[in-house]
Amino acid sequence: MVVDTKGRRSFRGGVHPPESKHLTRDSQIQPGPDVKEVAVMLSQHTGAVCQPLVRKGNAVMAGQKIGDSDAFVSAPVHSPIDGKVKEVGLRSHAVLGRSQAVIIEAYPHSRPKRMSFNLPDDFNENNYSSEQICDAVRQAGIVGMGGAGFPTRVKIEPNPRLPKHTMIINGCECEPYVTCDYRIMLEWTDQIIAGIRLAQRACGCSHVFIAIEDNKPEAIETMNSALSALNNGHNIKVVPVKTKYPQGGERQLIKAILDKQVPTGGIPPAIGLVVLNIATSAAIAEAIIDRSPLTYRVVTVTGEAIAKPGNYYVPVGTPVQDLIDFCGGVTKKSAKVIIGGPMMGIAIADLTTPITKTTGSITVLTKEQIGKAKYERRQTPCIRCGRCIQACPENLNPTKIAHAVKNNLLDVAERYYISACIECGCCSYVCPANIELTGYIKTGKIFLARQKKKMPA
Amino acid sequence: MLKDITVSSAPHISQRLSTRSVMADVIIALAFPTAVAGYFFRFHALILIATCVLSCVVTEWLCNLIRKKQNSLDDFSAVVTGIILALSLPPSLPVWAAIIGSVVSIAIGKMVFGGLGANIFNPAMVGRAFLTASFGMLMTTWTAPATIDSKMPRINQENVIDARTQATPLAWSKTAIKNDTGADSYSRGQLEATIKGEVGGCLGETSAIALLIGGLYLLVRRTINFHIPAAVLLSAFVFATIAYLIDSNAYVNPLFHLSSGALFLGAFFIATDPVTAPLTRRGMWLFGIGVGTITMLIRIVGEYPEGLMFSVLLMNAVTPLIDRLCKRVPAGGKPSA
Repeated sequence: MVVDTKGRRSFRGGVHPPESKHLTRDSQIQPGPDVKEVAVMLSQHTGAVCQPLVRKGNAVMAGQKIGDSDAFVSAPVHSPIDGKVKEVGLRSHAVLGRSQAVIIEAYPHSRPKRMSFNLPDDFNENNYSSEQICDAVRQAGIVGMGGAGFPTRVKIEPNPRLPKHTMIINGCECEPYVTCDYRIMLEWTDQIIAGIRLAQRACGCSHVFIAIEDNKPEAIETMNSALSALNNGHNIKVVPVKTKYPQGGERQLIKAILDKQVPTGGIPPAIGLVVLNIATSAAIAEAIIDRSPLTYRVVTVTGEAIAKPGNYYVPVGTPVQDLIDFCGGVTKKSAKVIIGGPMMGIAIADLTTPITKTTGSITVLTKEQIGKAKYERRQTPCIRCGRCIQACPENLNPTKIAHAVKNNLLDVAERYYISACIECGCCSYVCPANIELTGYIKTGKIFLARQKKKMPA
Repeated sequence: MLKDITVSSAPHISQRLSTRSVMADVIIALAFPTAVAGYFFRFHALILIATCVLSCVVTEWLCNLIRKKQNSLDDFSAVVTGIILALSLPPSLPVWAAIIGSVVSIAIGKMVFGGLGANIFNPAMVGRAFLTASFGMLMTTWTAPATIDSKMPRINQENVIDARTQATPLAWSKTAIKNDTGADSYSRGQLEATIKGEVGGCLGETSAIALLIGGLYLLVRRTINFHIPAAVLLSAFVFATIAYLIDSNAYVNPLFHLSSGALFLGAFFIATDPVTAPLTRRGMWLFGIGVGTITMLIRIVGEYPEGLMFSVLLMNAVTPLIDRLCKRVPAGGKPSA
């Protein structure tokens, strides 16, 4: 079967926020701060929460599994450092609120993990079987590192009912400010390609497309030259896509590259596709070739309120405070601390919140960057200008849904397909009345889930 | 140190847009026809425009006071309503009538529904409809532009009454049909005049070129979408062409229909009022086609020489239905469940 790119390399709708990537674009990945204490959340992924495998007072080693679950859709967590378990207790989680975590105090001799490893010359993905790779990915606790944190093993495991033919590697990084994936593409190129080959081997995809937004020509070039060094037969291709937010949303990416639409409520495997993030593919290579679990990740610490922005390789569980202090501390100008980028990231008030496997960046914005209107959050009535409708990449009617939620008309919200919203934030971004459309829609989704008793009140 | 940190839902940045900036754009665009109105109809035109703007603003302020609501004047929407209402009034209208029209526009047209964003009908058109129904004579007395008649009225009442009146081109074409004298010969010479604006008519509707510049400004600034103006003008043009082809003696040239009357003002500034127009693009097309077609129906078949006001109000009334008809389907299709 011939599968080639057919899309117009973009999708309908979307917005063009200022990229602001210049702050960290050219800063190499560096080791992060020496941590004294990490809080490893037991739920860092979509799916079942892990049960702790250690107790207070236990000594743990770097890479030791400290939480796991029997559920299929789940991923274990590991200790990133040598240390002693201080407690298993509640910590602030960016998404889930207060949530279980294993708090580990570092031993003084604990050494940070080396940043990358050399690929063996005789590396060949065919030395590993699909089961071996899937199993290793599961044991290493790898989840989608782009944000949603879906367990990678579930994604790449072959499913006889839904055979996968094409894999898309998501290197778009459409979120403003964030540059971690970009730096990984430039610096860990071979490791990424090894990870891609392993993932391709595991899921049996005949075609692989690496999607990179066309505002990152260096990354496109680096990946292309590394691929041309490979002997052919891998069918891995770099596809430049249009720079537009949310180009890195998997549904938007699939539309852009293959001109296919994932059915509403469905996931990419339904049409034979796998979408993996760049950082995830690097983690796969590390897990299989280096046999080390996912305990560190690259985090971009950025924003105009950060004195020394940069890309850092830090242990999962590092408190946000440590990272910000390492980069010059919170300045007087800081108005908002965001885990993630400014479009989809989550603003936090508790700076002890640890980073997780899915945290790609910490953005600290000033009042000027947020804008007066957003800072004061003064909303004016909807003037029905329709900008949100034109910006919506999922072709929804955000103002209708948001106002239905506001007036507690959840049935109306459902009739306007509230569940199809990907929460990209384009509608709130363009709204001249400054209405928190995305916020209302998220609230509505929670109300609906509670109504259906899927979520505790 | 932490007390200045705020928390809110994503996204944390936004486009530098506000309702006020959108309205300011409309005001800038309206400056072109306003300036032309001042040029053609001189001082009284500017008095009328100032009166309308001022009384709209005061009315909104009073309504907010009575309803005990936050002052909403800073969104500039009352100013826009005032200018549009003024531009749709005949130049000889007395000031007191303009004040009544403005009060009705804001109080009955907008504030009783709950203010900006909640009104069903275009406020300026509500005010104008009220004036048309109440003071039919005043609303159909057209003075010729000052560039034709140098003895244009100044502000005092006697002069207004003494002013030379002139039928609007559309009213003329209407009588032409009835007298069977052939509208075509008249309209050819008038086409140029209607584009420049040297004809009788409402303050802002005479100069097609000024309206076009203002409309293009709004399109370039993306304050309005091209869908509604395109639909209004195209459908009106098609309708007029059909009538012209059927009987070119009784009906005037379609281009003349486009450039005269309130069609340009309506297409770019009145029908595009976002609050009272449909949300989706498909809806906008339907809405615009409705406005254009009903306008031409009234002009060609109906009693009135001009029908834009009624067609906009009629289509405003069906906007919720259009919105319901043109519901958006998610990009991934309807969910199968």
